[in-house]
Amino acid sequence: MSLLEIQDLSVVYEPRGAAPTLAVKDVSLTLEQGEFVGLVGESGSGKSTLGFAVTRLHKPPARIAAGRIVFDGVDVAQLDAEELRVQRRGGFAMVLQSGMNALNPVRTVGNHFTDVFAAHGHVPTAARRRRATELLDKVQLPSTVLDRYPGELSGGMRQRVSIALALSLEPRLMVFDEPTTALDVLVQHAVMDTIRELQAAEGFTAVLISHDLGVVLESAQRVVVMHDGEVVEDGAARQVFEAPAHPYTQMLLSHYADPRAEVVELPGLERRAPAVTEPGAAPASAPAAGTVPAAGTPATGRRAARDAIVVDHVSKVYPPPRRGEQPVTAVDDVSFRLEPGAAMALVGQSGSGKSTIAKMVTGVERPTSGTVTFGDLQVDRLRRHQLKRLHTDVQMVFQDPYSALNPLHTVEYTLTRPVENYTGLRGEAARERVLGLLEKVGLTPVEQFAAKLPHQLSGGQRQRVVIARALASDPQVLIADEPVSMLDVSLRAGVLALLEELRAETGVSLLYITHDLLSARVITDRIMVLHHGRVVESGGTAQVLRFPEDEYTTRLLDAIPQPARRFGGVA
Amino acid sequence: MTRPSENSPGAAPDTGTALATTSPAATPSTTTPPAPPAPGRRTWLDTTAPGRALQVLGRAVATVWSNPKARAGLVILGVFVLMALLAPWLAPYDPHDDSFGRNEPGSAAHWLGTTGNGEDVLSQVIYGSRISLLVGLVAGGLSTVVAVVIGLSWGYLRGWGNDVVNFLVNLFLVMPGLPLMIIIAAYLQNGGLPMIILVVVITGWAWGARVLRSQTQSLRSRDFVTAAMFSGESAPRIIFREILPNMTSMIAGSFFGAATAAILSESGLSFLGLGDMATVSWGSMIFWAQNSMAILTGQWVLLFAPGLCIALLATAMTLVNFGVDGLSNPRLREGSGR
Amino acid sequence: MRYVLRRLGLLVLTLWAAVTLNFVIPRLMPGSPTDAAIAKLAQNGPVTPAVQAAIEAQLGVPGGSWWNQYVDYLGNVLTLDFGVSYTFFPQQVSGLVAGALPWTLIMVGLVTVLAFVLGTLIGVGAAWRRGTWVDSLPTVGGSFLSAFPYFWTALLIVFFLGYVAGWFPTSGAYSATATPNLSWQFLGDALYHAALPAATILLTSLGGWILGMRNAMINTLGEDYVTFAEANGLRGRTVAVRYAARNAILPNLTGFGMALGGVVGGSLLVEQVFAYPGVGYLLYNAVTNQDFPLMQALFLMITVSVLVANFLVDILYGILDPRTRR
Repeated sequence: MSLLEIQDLSVVYEPRGAAPTLAVKDVSLTLEQGEFVGLVGESGSGKSTLGFAVTRLHKPPARIAAGRIVFDGVDVAQLDAEELRVQRRGGFAMVLQSGMNALNPVRTVGNHFTDVFAAHGHVPTAARRRRATELLDKVQLPSTVLDRYPGELSGGMRQRVSIALALSLEPRLMVFDEPTTALDVLVQHAVMDTIRELQAAEGFTAVLISHDLGVVLESAQRVVVMHDGEVVEDGAARQVFEAPAHPYTQMLLSHYADPRAEVVELPGLERRAPAVTEPGAAPASAPAAGTVPAAGTPATGRRAARDAIVVDHVSKVYPPPRRGEQPVTAVDDVSFRLEPGAAMALVGQSGSGKSTIAKMVTGVERPTSGTVTFGDLQVDRLRRHQLKRLHTDVQMVFQDPYSALNPLHTVEYTLTRPVENYTGLRGEAARERVLGLLEKVGLTPVEQFAAKLPHQLSGGQRQRVVIARALASDPQVLIADEPVSMLDVSLRAGVLALLEELRAETGVSLLYITHDLLSARVITDRIMVLHHGRVVESGGTAQVLRFPEDEYTTRLLDAIPQPARRFGGVA
Repeated sequence: MTRPSENSPGAAPDTGTALATTSPAATPSTTTPPAPPAPGRRTWLDTTAPGRALQVLGRAVATVWSNPKARAGLVILGVFVLMALLAPWLAPYDPHDDSFGRNEPGSAAHWLGTTGNGEDVLSQVIYGSRISLLVGLVAGGLSTVVAVVIGLSWGYLRGWGNDVVNFLVNLFLVMPGLPLMIIIAAYLQNGGLPMIILVVVITGWAWGARVLRSQTQSLRSRDFVTAAMFSGESAPRIIFREILPNMTSMIAGSFFGAATAAILSESGLSFLGLGDMATVSWGSMIFWAQNSMAILTGQWVLLFAPGLCIALLATAMTLVNFGVDGLSNPRLREGSGR
Repeated sequence: MRYVLRRLGLLVLTLWAAVTLNFVIPRLMPGSPTDAAIAKLAQNGPVTPAVQAAIEAQLGVPGGSWWNQYVDYLGNVLTLDFGVSYTFFPQQVSGLVAGALPWTLIMVGLVTVLAFVLGTLIGVGAAWRRGTWVDSLPTVGGSFLSAFPYFWTALLIVFFLGYVAGWFPTSGAYSATATPNLSWQFLGDALYHAALPAATILLTSLGGWILGMRNAMINTLGEDYVTFAEANGLRGRTVAVRYAARNAILPNLTGFGMALGGVVGGSLLVEQVFAYPGVGYLLYNAVTNQDFPLMQALFLMITVSVLVANFLVDILYGILDPRTRR
């Protein structure tokens, strides 16, 4: 008998005052004991809803509309609350996406274990501490963690504690819902290693829910792909990797590549080594006068003088977060030059100081020491009211398209403001330019998009609006802070291609901030690797990524999920 | 260059948080795939600023109305507003006319009886609504204006000034309001209604300021506020056009909260004889009733009727706030969540 | 420890601000409270220079230097010397306050704590059984009750349970025939007299605590740690109490601290209705007789009590939230 049989399962969302949506449609799936299954899909695919329904953790307005979930011969969907509770020991466990918040902030880690042991009575009181220590050991945490409160642990440690807690149920099925999404790149890699080792050692059936096909292909034996609430592909990992049957899977796979390869190809983007564009000798292509008449170049004089951003021995030290602690050095003696028309990547983990550099370059923060200059502007000395002059030429693309647009303003309002503020155009002329900007970022038909509110747009479309806003002043420099990290994989290449296209078209220079080496490889020519606020390596992007000299760069490269490495082929 | 299609829906119900909470961004209804804009939206977008303000107001009322509790509150509130507006036509007598028999019980001529001075109780109750509503509206409104100005600037600005304001607001928050009002009112004896309103505003703005401050801070950290700076917007424009409109529900909430508190405070002060004793208000009616030993003479209607009106009006405001709460906190919407 | 010290520092600063406010208010008022007070006192007999000086120290010397007055005033406050009352001439204000304060502190203090505990428990139940009558009854009832003006609830209760039914005494803190002592008999008598004012405060303040806790708990019920606790098969009771309620109590405590001033203010009116010999009743007498020294002293004592209570709430918060210990 199979461990879990899902038969024709449908889950519906019935929010009050809104139309119901079918999040999971007629899904049937069978899991065998000891399998490692990856469940992949982009946002809205219903993968998490499925995971929550299978473990009976779904809450209103979600409801199981039809179907059976047979776990070990018992229909889980029919169990009452107490039967379900008892079933959780030795049954199914769940590790949540945000391990950060999965632990009760006012109870120690030890208390969490005691609660689970007491709830099921499967560990005698005397043996509880020893058992908890054993479990922590399995996730590579020391026993001292037992006396700590969750707030005293790092994100990665907290997620390990959740895994150990789930493990303490001695489950036969463990569902991991995006277990590493909220974590830092290197930590993600380590936690995934732990999950893989545990599954092999303990022999439970694992379901790994992820938006990242790369992560799943690297770990799972079997891959299930969901799209729009339906299972579109289900097969052995190798088979899915080498010969995906469904066009959707094929499309997803086309967005993976090895940044170390000689030729890197993503849909709409291609980079060969050595880089085709040399820094400095950048696109001499004329401004987009002919292409988009409405958005034509306003001030002709400014275009001629093109300036570099010069960052000279800049450091940023923040005051200690709590009294009695050390001040935090976010950026430590960094120097670089962003030449006119160049594209440079700034890569590193969170906390490496890359975003702080962006803030200093845009005048939002001031360096503790060192200077930032742009043309004749001493950026580090600018007062608040002088920033407008800098922002005429230096604009920013934000990370989170959901927070970068005011939910109450239409696209047209959002774009009209900078147009009026920077170009002085008013009325119909301003509107013309707004529509031209929309055209430029590929949001057509433009009149329709101009009238929309942010919630009526998808993530990728929002990000295009954000880019259009940055272009409104016809800037010389774009600072893009992780512009695609919040987007679905399939949407990323489109936004990256747009940036690339704009650069070729307008000659704008680009400072691209990211933790994602693949995207850095396809749209930048130069790269700087940051670690703890210091530059550990810099040079031509292809050169650095293909032949890294610093150990940290190598570790970042190794942390990228690489199905090709596992299966030994090329996609 | 080709661009991949972006027609896949935005964030539909998918993540664990969406399951557990229903955050506004993840609610299925709000993330329908881009379709032609709804006609209603369009007109809203195309209208000018005052038109838009009206639209926002209309939408807010509709949202409040959709909550059954708030609907009940709006109905009660409406009745009192009509009562205050139509008082001269509704009231059978002049509230100050003391030409009737004293301490009469209810009769056809005087439904609720007469006071110890020989005035008609029903007429006084009807006219009393004017004072309570006026105090609620003016004192509540002024408190909210102070709260908005202080809350917004306190949340938006940084530096040492912030600490000073923080301390002041906390001081006014923990300071027992009524004793402070009593003291000030005692010094300003016979200051009339403006005095009461002033006192209520002085003691009543802090709570709203605190709530609006934290909301401002959380909005301020959102990227769209930084983005507005990059769009060349001035600080006042960022505060009033980007941040403020996102706090409509909170401002409405603190208005009704402050108005409720103002109505209760006015009645308390009047009850102590510290209000404007020449005007008829519900609180002063109870003051005179107690002075004339209404309980002992069995004239309990004198105590009961004005008190019930105060309680009903305050309840109505509280109920309306249930609907306003629903605007700002999706988790409190009836039936969602657990 | 650092947390306690910081709170203590804040308490001292707030106390200073309250004391200063008490100094400033009479001096900012139009007219001259001092002249009014001396005129008032003159009705009781000749005003000695010593009494006049005391009044001036408290209410301000017309045209005098604020700084010197302020120093004198601070000295008087620290030695609890608030001058003489002229309602109860020639009694010392400090003596009157000391006589009234215990009644209020014990009655209002105990009832407030009781109401908070009770309201919190009901709020937990309401949030846990969301959507059932266990939720709707206390939520709707509570919000209705808390809209009642304190004095009106008091009047209704005194009318129905005191005069009509005659079950409880309608005024005073103990029988006219009893003398305050520590016998069981006197305690019983005092409790009997406190029953109605206590019930009034309990009823009127309960709703606020219920709503506060319910809303806080509905928020914590949506947190990931509650979902994860359910995923781990913890018993419903454990999840409700140790996970959801235990975290919800923190914001609720903050709300308690902030609402305390309102409850104390409301109970002043309750005391007036029941002629309960606490600070509220005394304050009412002081206000009606324009007894400024007594009024100032009472306001100061009430404020200090609320500030100290707030400090205690903060300390409790620190004990309950491990995050403040770092």
